[in-house]
Amino acid sequence: MKLNKINTSVGYVVAGLIVSVAFLGLFASNSAMAREPYDKAELADMQKQLLEAVNQGYELWHGSKDSMSTNGLACGNCHPDAAATNPQTFPKFQADLGKVAPMRDMINWCITVVQGGQALDAESPEMVAMEAYAFNMHRGQKIDPGLQTRQTPPDVVKGGRGYPWKGSGVGYDKGSKEYPVPGPNQK
Amino acid sequence: MTDLDKMSRRDFFTISGKAGLATLMASAMGTNLGMVQVAEAAVGKSKVSPFRFAIITDSHLYDIDNHKFDAQLADAVDKVMKMNPLPDFVVYTGDIAQSGTDSQLKKGIKILSKLTMPLKVIPGEHDWYLDMGAAWRGHFGSPTWSFDHKGVHFIGMNSILVRDFWTKAGMSAEERMSTLMMLESPIAGPWGVREEQLDWLKKDVKKLSSDTPIVVFTHSPLWDYYPRWNFQTEDAPEIRGILKKFERVMAFHGHVHQTIYNKIGNMSSIGTISTSWPWPYPDVKLAYPWSQMLRSDPANFTDGEGAQHIDLEHGFKGVMQYDPFGDMLTPTMKNGFKI
Repeated sequence: MKLNKINTSVGYVVAGLIVSVAFLGLFASNSAMAREPYDKAELADMQKQLLEAVNQGYELWHGSKDSMSTNGLACGNCHPDAAATNPQTFPKFQADLGKVAPMRDMINWCITVVQGGQALDAESPEMVAMEAYAFNMHRGQKIDPGLQTRQTPPDVVKGGRGYPWKGSGVGYDKGSKEYPVPGPNQK
Repeated sequence: MTDLDKMSRRDFFTISGKAGLATLMASAMGTNLGMVQVAEAAVGKSKVSPFRFAIITDSHLYDIDNHKFDAQLADAVDKVMKMNPLPDFVVYTGDIAQSGTDSQLKKGIKILSKLTMPLKVIPGEHDWYLDMGAAWRGHFGSPTWSFDHKGVHFIGMNSILVRDFWTKAGMSAEERMSTLMMLESPIAGPWGVREEQLDWLKKDVKKLSSDTPIVVFTHSPLWDYYPRWNFQTEDAPEIRGILKKFERVMAFHGHVHQTIYNKIGNMSSIGTISTSWPWPYPDVKLAYPWSQMLRSDPANFTDGEGAQHIDLEHGFKGVMQYDPFGDMLTPTMKNGFKI
């Protein structure tokens, strides 16, 4: 009985210590004690490189590399703004490939089967750029691995009369925040 | 002889001559001559006698021999030729060519010449911006037209006119064309029929009574569907304003490569499926969501494409029927729907 009491007391102490350590750990992880890993210039450079990849992806998406197509078709023919590519749903089972596949496999499927072109090296900077573009156009979508039959809408990029004309910041929209030649009826 | 007959003959002369298809010209003329008896020039709701017309659109032909899109356009033509009853005429609502070359237009004309009924054509941006419509006009004449058929007044207009963005930018003709070939490029700005055609439209409908059934064809939709992809016509409100006096207007458009339906005021607006490729639906809340076709299977190259026909009945009642190559229609659209 006494022993049990002692054990219980020790137990309380141990439990208290564990909670304290865990609390300190939490506190530490939320503290600003660690040095910011990158300065502003470094971050700006990283962002620039990412945008370069996105823009290279846009160019490839719209037919800048001849070997990707033998029939004149580019990814942008069927997927304007990378619509209906659903990058946030990969990896998923692709019936066309017969397996669970990452997005790059589906990109190469479209290049070789639909466009009759030569597949990109899956590890190449070009494939990374293609994915960077498609993912960038779906920024904010919930990560939601799914099935091939499911379709999620692309990001809404509104423009034209009745809407604020906001560019996507990519490709032709590079650097443009507004529609360049407002018509007489445009607000 | 009705307006349609006159124009059909002229069109077939032009088409046949330009495409060097003298033998086809004779058979086409023969067919057209057979139509002289069936049409009445008078228009008015009570004067509509039932008939069918078909729409083929957006074949986007490339300068590549035996391209799959050539066969797909031919399949759409076959579909129309197998309709029972046959349509009285066919309207092509733009984008025969992909990059506006004369050879692409000629290839399309050759495939379309297998239609034995009259064909009316309006341009899309892919037909137009390499040479500002020179080749297209050479083949088809004016892109602005109207005719009366069995009590209905039909109107076609060139809705893909944009402001000059190329001169200041020093673009070549090819650069201008390729800028317009990208759906998500805002550089070209919004489509429109512009002042000249608006004036023409005012005059064209001026003397028509308000019970006249009106059918309009444009390449782009006459409402702001999704401006980001130029699924719009900037002066559509003006067009709708001019046509406001009519009891009912049916407007058909190409460009969107998908089934879509909308209604604004007295105008019902109906999109058409292409013969080339389907476009995904933009993230827009539709007033009539049942008009969305099923998602296309990318492994089936002809899924999401086809032709369509419209049956007009007494009292200007219309039924729209998409004729896809594959099974892609929702139950609501499967057996046609009232427009």
